[in-house]
Amino acid sequence: MPERIEHYRATRFEESVAAPRKARPRRRPFALVAGAVAYLVTFLIILPILWIALLSFQPSGNILGNPFSLSQLTLDNYVKVIGSLPLLRMYGNTMLIAIVSVTIGTAVSFMSAFALTRMTFRRRKVQSSLRFYLLAGLAVPVYILLFPVYRLDLAFGVFGTYAALILPYIAVSIPFNTLLLTGFLREFPTELEEAAIIDGAGLARLCWTVVLPLMRPVIATILIFNVVYVFNEFPFASILINNPDMVTVSLAVSRFQGQYTVDYGGMMAAATLVLLPQLVIYAVFQKQVIAGMTVGAVKG
Amino acid sequence: MVWISSRWKILAMVAPALILFTLFVVYPVAYSLGFSFTKFRGFGNPDFIGFDNYGALGQDPFFWRALQNTLIILVVGVVVLVPGSFALALLLRRKVAGAGLLRALVFGPAIIAPILVGLIWVFILDPKIGLLNRFLGFAGLPSVQWIGGDTLTPYAVALVFIWSSIGFAMTIFYAGRQLLPHDVMEASELDGATGFQQLRYVTIPMMRETFAIVTILMITNVFKIFELVYMLTGGGPVHRSETLVSYMYFTTFTNQKYGLGMALAVIITVLGAVVSIAYLALSRERKAS
Repeated sequence: MPERIEHYRATRFEESVAAPRKARPRRRPFALVAGAVAYLVTFLIILPILWIALLSFQPSGNILGNPFSLSQLTLDNYVKVIGSLPLLRMYGNTMLIAIVSVTIGTAVSFMSAFALTRMTFRRRKVQSSLRFYLLAGLAVPVYILLFPVYRLDLAFGVFGTYAALILPYIAVSIPFNTLLLTGFLREFPTELEEAAIIDGAGLARLCWTVVLPLMRPVIATILIFNVVYVFNEFPFASILINNPDMVTVSLAVSRFQGQYTVDYGGMMAAATLVLLPQLVIYAVFQKQVIAGMTVGAVKG
Repeated sequence: MVWISSRWKILAMVAPALILFTLFVVYPVAYSLGFSFTKFRGFGNPDFIGFDNYGALGQDPFFWRALQNTLIILVVGVVVLVPGSFALALLLRRKVAGAGLLRALVFGPAIIAPILVGLIWVFILDPKIGLLNRFLGFAGLPSVQWIGGDTLTPYAVALVFIWSSIGFAMTIFYAGRQLLPHDVMEASELDGATGFQQLRYVTIPMMRETFAIVTILMITNVFKIFELVYMLTGGGPVHRSETLVSYMYFTTFTNQKYGLGMALAVIITVLGAVVSIAYLALSRERKAS
């Protein structure tokens, strides 16, 4: 037996070494071209970002006249903009709204997902149709909600507060959260939870100390997906926030063109300042962010 | 698990999500649908006018223009994006030095807020200060009015849409390609299939699901395009470059014709759903035959 395995390994090894050796000379020119094309396409894709970064360091005179010159780069635009751009407030507002809405959204989605997959309903039908009801929200595009939500916020007296945005952000996150959470729970065996119940754990303890820790990867995906959504969201913010002290990042960016009318350098410096923290976070958590943003597509 | 399932416990667990979802998603959809049959200017009681709003849209040239623009973006966007991002995914699977970094960079635009994407591209497309016309100038070619003119804006919006979605679509294709079983690919190689034959007869047919997912995602995303137009042209000049959503936004919130705006919102929702379902049905049929 062992010799056979040895022999098998040896032939596999030879194959795996020999095959590419034979193939390589034929493919080399093609591989080179493919590599060059990959780099070229990537360069074209990041070119717009490089362009605004370059403009943000150009003195005003150069932007219209000689934008490619590298000899007179300056920090003037940034110095000008830092005074007029409430960067901290924009990010503070957006983070506050994101943290509150994503935390509550994840919590309520988790609770209902647990009930809809783990608890025993008197009537099974009710359970499955409730799940389907929440999932149906996936088909609803956000813009059909804009005006009704505006009216609702007025009616509830929350218009002009952070809650005006937080409430709809929670609600629109529920369908997607439910999809991922119930999908995970349905495939996951219940033995561990049953053991915990036999050991005397109540509902709250069961969820908090047994189920939640098991679901960390799914929860992480949900958090990333929703935080990115809230950070980038514009239509709701543009309608539900009218207090300049409460502007979100997207809302502030939408006003740059009016704010810096012909001060293109200032506008580009402001845009770069807004973009920079996001790119840094993306660079650090790149793998998780990509996974978090695409998992819905692959799963759904 | 029956031990933890008293009636009030179930209720306490389900109620928060159910109430929030019903109040801020389901009720608004019904509200929009209802208001689309009324004339309402923001105060007093809405007057029921039946299908008049839908009729009015049918005779509104701006609506047809917005529909036409959206369809142009849809066709150009999907026709370029789906094969383009698929090719890019295959390209970045090869042993190119730094392929991981390239994939991260290509995905980058997907994390940028659409509103900021719009602002960035003003500085690429603007006829006077944009990068594109600078390049044309270097090449001795005349300037082109990419945005703000009469005809090119939807194509320019499609270009920006492609830019912001290609990395996302590429990543889905990449993940789908990684899932293909090795033995099938190896078998086709042993059978002497050329790279192109393998692609044509093995890879693409086996990735049909992924193609469907990407195409549907891109279609639904085209029907959501709003921020790009808002930043690039504001829908102008004279509504020539509106998309359906930006025109709905204008009708509802700038013009304050709420009933008309809601009728438009309903039309967009139905259109988006119909196009996606039609695509799904078509790709199923082709699979069956």
